[in-house]
Amino acid sequence: MDSMAIIIRDDSYDKILTPLAFAYLQAAEGTVVDILFVNWAVRALTEDGAAAMHIHGEHAKDEAMVREGVAKAGLPTEIMDILKALKSTECVNFYACSLAASIFGVNEDNLINEAEGIIGASWFLNEKASKADHCQYF
Amino acid sequence: MSNWQPDQTLDTSGKCCPMPMVEMNQAIRKMDPGSILEVIATDPGTRDDISSWCQRKGHELLELSEEGKTLRFTVRKAS
Repeated sequence: MDSMAIIIRDDSYDKILTPLAFAYLQAAEGTVVDILFVNWAVRALTEDGAAAMHIHGEHAKDEAMVREGVAKAGLPTEIMDILKALKSTECVNFYACSLAASIFGVNEDNLINEAEGIIGASWFLNEKASKADHCQYF
Repeated sequence: MSNWQPDQTLDTSGKCCPMPMVEMNQAIRKMDPGSILEVIATDPGTRDDISSWCQRKGHELLELSEEGKTLRFTVRKAS
């Protein structure tokens, strides 16, 4: 696989782990991974938003257990540190959906340096998702 | 006991997906073609992950042994 596109919607700590782990796996092999953050997940591309990620709902009480498991697995426990680890592979690109950015308070000022930018979903869907060898939605 | 003398050993014991695969890719990238990497893992997912990775990348899985919950892979890097 040469390229993979991922679209992430959920911003809860536990639900964002899987797409980031999949991206890490493929990037480690040299696959170019393009990730579009939509809806609440776009806030992961800000320092404050990434730091504020928690487990929601009925599993909220298990967050300490989950973070302990993540550390045991060998991953950084903070989402921002995972994003930085992915970026360090030089195979992962992060994009903020412009609609989501507008609604959920992300702009050029608070977007993290690791992100490529705020882009239109049409561009991502046509230039990245449809041309990727594999596309996943979370 | 492996029948092969590894040039490098990577111990991922205790770690889980994706880290054994990430660390293995990082390790083998730095090795010379034809050299041998030994990977020790306790994540049962590595059994299939590493075998299929070898096939995809052209590396040779020389040996896979199991002792209790510990898996030991011996991989020759593609030339």
